[in-house]
Amino acid sequence: RVTSSDDQSPIPGASIKIKNSAQGTMTDGNGAFAISASPSDVLVISFVGYQSTEVTVGSRTTVNIALKQEDNNLNEIVVTGYTSQRKKDLTGAVAVVDVAQLKSQPAASAVEALQGKAPGVQIVVDGAPGSTPQIRVRGVTTINNNDPLYVVDGVPYEGKLSWLNQNDIESMQILKDASAASIYGSRANNGVVIITTRKGIQGPPKVTLDAYYGTQTPRKNTFPEFLSPIQYAQAFPNATNYGTGATPVLPEYLRAGNIFGLNVTPADADPSKYLYSNDPNSFYQITRANQQGTNWFEEITENAPTQNYQVSASGGGENSTYSFSAGYLDQKGIIKYTGFKRYNTRANTSVSALDKKLRFGENLSYSYSEGFGFGVNPNVSGDYQDEGSAIGWAYRMPTIVPVYDIQGNFAGSKGSGLGNAENPLAFLYRGKDNLNKSNFFFGNAFAELDIVKGLTLRTNFGLRYENYNNISMRYPNPEFSEGNSSNNLSETQGFNSEWTWTNTLTYRTTFAEKHNLTLLAGTEAIQNKSRSLTGGRNDFFVLGDMDYYYLNVGTANISNGSSGSAGSLFSLFARADYSFNDRYLASVTIRRDGSSNFGPDNKYGAFPAGSIAWRVSEEDFLKNKVSWLNDLKFRAGYGGTGNQRIPVNQYLSRYQQGLLTSAYPLLGGNGVVTGVWQNAYANPEIKWESVTSLNVGLDFTLFSSAIDGSVDWYNRKTKDMLFPVQLPSTAVGLGNSPYRNVGDMSNKGVEVNLNYHYGRNNDSPFTFDLGVNFSKNVNKLEEIAPGVDQLQYGAFRSLRTSILKKGAPFGSFYGYEQSGIFQSDADIAGSPSYPNARVGGMKFRDINGDGAITPEDRKIIGNPNPDFYYSLNLNASYKNFDVSMFFNGVQGNDLYDTNRYFTDFPTFQGAKSTRLLNAWTPTNTASNIPSVTGTAAEIEYESSSYYVQDGSFFRLKNLQIGYTIPAEKVFGSKWGISKFRVYASTTNVFTITNYTGLDPEVSAESETYSALGVDRGIYPNPRQFLLGVSVGF
Amino acid sequence: CKKDFLEKRPQGELSQEQLTNQKGVEATLTGAYALLNGNLSGTWGNYASGPSQWLLGEVTSDNAHKGSDAGDQPNMNALERHSPTSTNDNLSTLWTRCFEGIQRCNSTLRILAALQASSGEKFADKRAAEIQAEARFLRGHYYFFLARAFKNVPLILENTTDPAVDNTADIYPAIVEDFTYAVANLSTTKPLDQVGRADKIAAQAYLGKVLLYQKKYAEALTNFTAVMAARPAITTLDYKANFDITRENGPESIFAVQHAVGTDGSGGDNGNVGDMLNYPYGGSSKTSCCGFFQPSIDLANAFRVTATGLPMIDGSYRTNPFKSDFGLTTAQKAAYQVERSLLVDPRMDYTLGRRGVPYRDWGVMQGDPWIREVTTGGPFVPYKNSIEFAEFTNGTAPGSTNVNGLNVNVIRLADVYLMAAECQVELGNLPEALRLVNAVRARAAQLPVATDKAVGGAPAATYRVNPYPAFPSQTYARDAVRFERRLELAMEGHRFYDLVRWGILKPTLESYSAFEGQFLATSRGITIGDEDNYFPIPQEQLDRSNGVLKQNPGY
Repeated sequence: RVTSSDDQSPIPGASIKIKNSAQGTMTDGNGAFAISASPSDVLVISFVGYQSTEVTVGSRTTVNIALKQEDNNLNEIVVTGYTSQRKKDLTGAVAVVDVAQLKSQPAASAVEALQGKAPGVQIVVDGAPGSTPQIRVRGVTTINNNDPLYVVDGVPYEGKLSWLNQNDIESMQILKDASAASIYGSRANNGVVIITTRKGIQGPPKVTLDAYYGTQTPRKNTFPEFLSPIQYAQAFPNATNYGTGATPVLPEYLRAGNIFGLNVTPADADPSKYLYSNDPNSFYQITRANQQGTNWFEEITENAPTQNYQVSASGGGENSTYSFSAGYLDQKGIIKYTGFKRYNTRANTSVSALDKKLRFGENLSYSYSEGFGFGVNPNVSGDYQDEGSAIGWAYRMPTIVPVYDIQGNFAGSKGSGLGNAENPLAFLYRGKDNLNKSNFFFGNAFAELDIVKGLTLRTNFGLRYENYNNISMRYPNPEFSEGNSSNNLSETQGFNSEWTWTNTLTYRTTFAEKHNLTLLAGTEAIQNKSRSLTGGRNDFFVLGDMDYYYLNVGTANISNGSSGSAGSLFSLFARADYSFNDRYLASVTIRRDGSSNFGPDNKYGAFPAGSIAWRVSEEDFLKNKVSWLNDLKFRAGYGGTGNQRIPVNQYLSRYQQGLLTSAYPLLGGNGVVTGVWQNAYANPEIKWESVTSLNVGLDFTLFSSAIDGSVDWYNRKTKDMLFPVQLPSTAVGLGNSPYRNVGDMSNKGVEVNLNYHYGRNNDSPFTFDLGVNFSKNVNKLEEIAPGVDQLQYGAFRSLRTSILKKGAPFGSFYGYEQSGIFQSDADIAGSPSYPNARVGGMKFRDINGDGAITPEDRKIIGNPNPDFYYSLNLNASYKNFDVSMFFNGVQGNDLYDTNRYFTDFPTFQGAKSTRLLNAWTPTNTASNIPSVTGTAAEIEYESSSYYVQDGSFFRLKNLQIGYTIPAEKVFGSKWGISKFRVYASTTNVFTITNYTGLDPEVSAESETYSALGVDRGIYPNPRQFLLGVSVGF
Repeated sequence: CKKDFLEKRPQGELSQEQLTNQKGVEATLTGAYALLNGNLSGTWGNYASGPSQWLLGEVTSDNAHKGSDAGDQPNMNALERHSPTSTNDNLSTLWTRCFEGIQRCNSTLRILAALQASSGEKFADKRAAEIQAEARFLRGHYYFFLARAFKNVPLILENTTDPAVDNTADIYPAIVEDFTYAVANLSTTKPLDQVGRADKIAAQAYLGKVLLYQKKYAEALTNFTAVMAARPAITTLDYKANFDITRENGPESIFAVQHAVGTDGSGGDNGNVGDMLNYPYGGSSKTSCCGFFQPSIDLANAFRVTATGLPMIDGSYRTNPFKSDFGLTTAQKAAYQVERSLLVDPRMDYTLGRRGVPYRDWGVMQGDPWIREVTTGGPFVPYKNSIEFAEFTNGTAPGSTNVNGLNVNVIRLADVYLMAAECQVELGNLPEALRLVNAVRARAAQLPVATDKAVGGAPAATYRVNPYPAFPSQTYARDAVRFERRLELAMEGHRFYDLVRWGILKPTLESYSAFEGQFLATSRGITIGDEDNYFPIPQEQLDRSNGVLKQNPGY
């Protein structure tokens, strides 16, 4: 049997020859071989990427050979679609993630840590603990869901990955182009992320313990600044609360009962009158004005601890291996009362029998997670952003309002002239018990049988079952101007389940020595179901007692509901990989998918792909002739993938009975009779969305493997894009318009990955690695729908931030282009103008030149897609010290700061930005900030370039310094400690950006279409300081 | 795998086959009623489609301001100032809600026809005709709301196969046809004895109203006369019952949109969501949201009367206007006392809330603390759409006091009296017009101001409303009827549409702008062109129609 020396894994396809003879054979899929030889024969065992070894047979009948790897990563075995290949045999665009590097960055989620680790993969992370990062492989492929397909231990999975402990990951590959991904057919349009978890290795038990503890701090220098109360009073003469006339007066009290501001007399503010009660009629709050001003962002943030512990053990005997791990993560958020906890355990086992011809086993993981508070639990990245969220309120809450009233209860905007923001700390505090819990089981069982030599049958059954429970409470908020005296509990319980049954038959053969062929055919069936149940009640006898909060003790507003979904897929697929003489490589795949999403006419879709590669470095004219060239491979691939991720049953007309949508009180009074309405209109022709992609690339390894890298160019075209073309109300009323296959989109790009290694191939005490990733993608929406050239979306109050426009990049910002400020009445009269224009108001560019500012003058005012993004990895070690730095950058993207709607314009009474100190005045005429006023023209409240800023940034994302304690010297051999590393790490060390918002990493807000780069109050990334330890024994 | 592995039925949804039966038709018809409150689902956002038409029918007139903060809902400011663009979201709100209602009416008619033509268990002919009549009544209602606001509206009927219909034809004849069918096939008792359904009286009143909009006075009058004959004399009915949640669907209610705010878990979705912004804001008021729909200073002064208890229909009410505590200094406001000598029609204090006067059972209105931003919306708050505080428990949605269950009158008897009076004026029958107007005024005189509006033991104003002695001329009579219509029905969603059909929008609003603009910047400099008689067709609908729909002239 031939194995690899480093991890004892079998080497299939290794060549065994009897020296000086023509006789020879190859190892099978399990690394085993049989050959007739006499005791004096010398076996020559060779395999590409390994050092050839010679052994004399002697009297043995069983020969075990461990081949030592050549020292570069070309022979790394990479799991691709349903098979595995050596990295150097890859013909498609596959990013192989350096998992060691991935793990060196402490992160709650594997996707978060993937940021910058693979070219062509853009990840936007916000600061919410356990959040769902936004991941895009080679740009935005569709107006629909752009999340990639994950394949975990062979089981496809769509969804968020926060349940997976990144320490459990053994390898991670990203299939980026169709030639690599199309074997996953209808779900591969957005790329495929293949993850394998840690398996056991034959040998004595290896135990590792990893732990870190640290603190996260808010980056206070990014906090927005607001006018202090006196500045506010000066900026807005005669504002309520500040007296009438020339000199503003700061009130001493904001509220005493129902007397407000300057009207509060000492008698009103007598503390003996204070009464905090649930009865709004007797409620009597006394609140002093905070004349110095409250810094609401300071109030809602704090330093927060984060910690992670993981223990794992692995090992095995000749016929079985095991790997086990258990972990605990507890991350609090820098926004108060937010946090995420995860407990997870994993057991992977593999057993072989029948002389190793039969192998079977399982990979099981179970994870329990809890998230609480703002921003922590959305299933879609960035989905928590809202003007009514804690951060949204912090932008709006007047600075004169203190956090607490005179008795320590929350103060608020109830009063006169204090606007309609809610005390953001009260909002967070009252949400502290809102808890989302998830039990997540993900696992598979498999069996593999070598039927004859080279032919292997594999069956794999994967199961995912998630059970979740969310509870959320609302409390009376009598200090809030738009508050409420009721209280409420609502609770959700549900499950998502999916099983995947995959069967494959693989045949590997080598003929005429130089021809390697792998053939694979398979079937896959997938079925999913989900169901959730919600309930709510109002009016609980006591508030805030979590032991009391059950629905059946609520006394009013009894509500409940449930909903669910069901879907299935059935697929046939085949694949052939061929190589000749290690030089010429070719791969062909095809998949035919049937989906329950489509009607009888279009149920099935076929997705073929092919790729070729030429390892030119193996050619005689180069091999051993150009000494600095170790490996050079040209690749080209072309193929199709599909997308079916749309709401189900689009091919059917559907009706619904709904208490909210179709009920009417026909009998008068408060009872209703529930009717029926047509909620969905059919498109019987609905079919698959498809992407065809062309990829050309090259991989190289140079200078004794000191330099390696790859360059890829691609062109991806999305056709028949599934688009919910909104039909006029005359056709569908308010029912759902069906999806249609109408849109086209294109993405073209270049990716470069370049690595330099020093000291890797000798035993230098100093090693140094430098890695650079560069990705450029140009997105263009080629076609929306017949007769539809543009669609505005991204509704935020009176703004429509974003647009789908034919010929423009997806999610472009749209609005008026500000050209300055109206300087005088003459300026208004002499310039293109609009109704109710004012001196000091916004002046816009007259795009169509008709002399007036009308909606036709709106244009694209920004592009949220970056020109390029890049990352830089530096790793160095000297003897026992190591240091790593990871930089991440995005260049040329725009961000849209909607928070200015509240802080810079006279929209609502509330906090105003210090930018207004530099607003236009008759003496400050150069300013582009509209003058401070009580009323502006309607058009000034619309989307304009005033909101758009350059979002480029460059960030030292992670800096880590480690020291490996020479364990044997320090602890002695008795303890058996093989490894003992301690490290200190900092994330988000510095950020260089011109963006004035909280954080330039802005996750898309999802609406009908995702609104890229629109900042509606993002949870900012903290700075994090960690101390960690990693012990092995 | 079995072949049906890839067949997954819709979850929690129905197919048309499952509805083609009696139960299904009745349920579809109920669905057609369900859009009357202007709401599909979710409470917020249905402001322009509410049956009260407060935004498109009142804020756009001389009766009311948007209110709230200046920058809140700026698209409403554009409507108030008559400078809306086609992208104004409120316009598409009305358009889409009404067409959803029309789709449901058409669905009902289609499925009914399919059932009656099938071999299944059919309706008896009487109920089948009645169902058609109810569905066509509702369709007439939705089209009427569209025609008033947009004028040029595409007509989609139950047998329309291609919905790409243009908006060039006049749809009033189709509306008349629907209501005519309803009049012929409904009886004076409510279908199925359910109070929320449309009956013959409602259909007659609505048909009359639609005819009046077409200036077909004689035909309209016939219908109004029938309605008045079917109901008690208005002088025997209580004005307050129209705005009292405990006395809904009384004899004055001709066609009212039913609102429900039960604890059935619907969370207010079936309540009066159209008006959910329109309550006093803060202070000791009983609602915390949202300070919209503030009566104008002009409207308040229109309620002032001469010493003989007649309104100042010549516009002299604007002389030396009453402004409550608006514009006073901090010290003056602190010392403010209600003006008891103010001579007003008693309906004033049942139409608007003002400082120093009891507001329902909420206590004495506090002035500024009840108002979100006085400089934007003025010193008054709306009244007719609110309910007694004592009724909040059952009359407001659980957990949100700004959605109440008060029905909204689309047509009430006083409206019919005044429309009939209008017909009589135009037909030259002035004494009959005088009788009708004076009946409405006599009823107003019965308002119990002495108990409702007393502060410190005495009435908050000098309330007076007397009958007109005579209508000396047709012009005088026309002005008097129109003025009475304003006073009686102010804040009920009629005013803008009345001004348009009378052809006096431009002079009325431009003179209003000059008056009201003295006090409030939002009203300053409003100019009216021909295009302002109708609103622009929503841009998104034009875009989605691929050029089939045409924009109204002037937009």
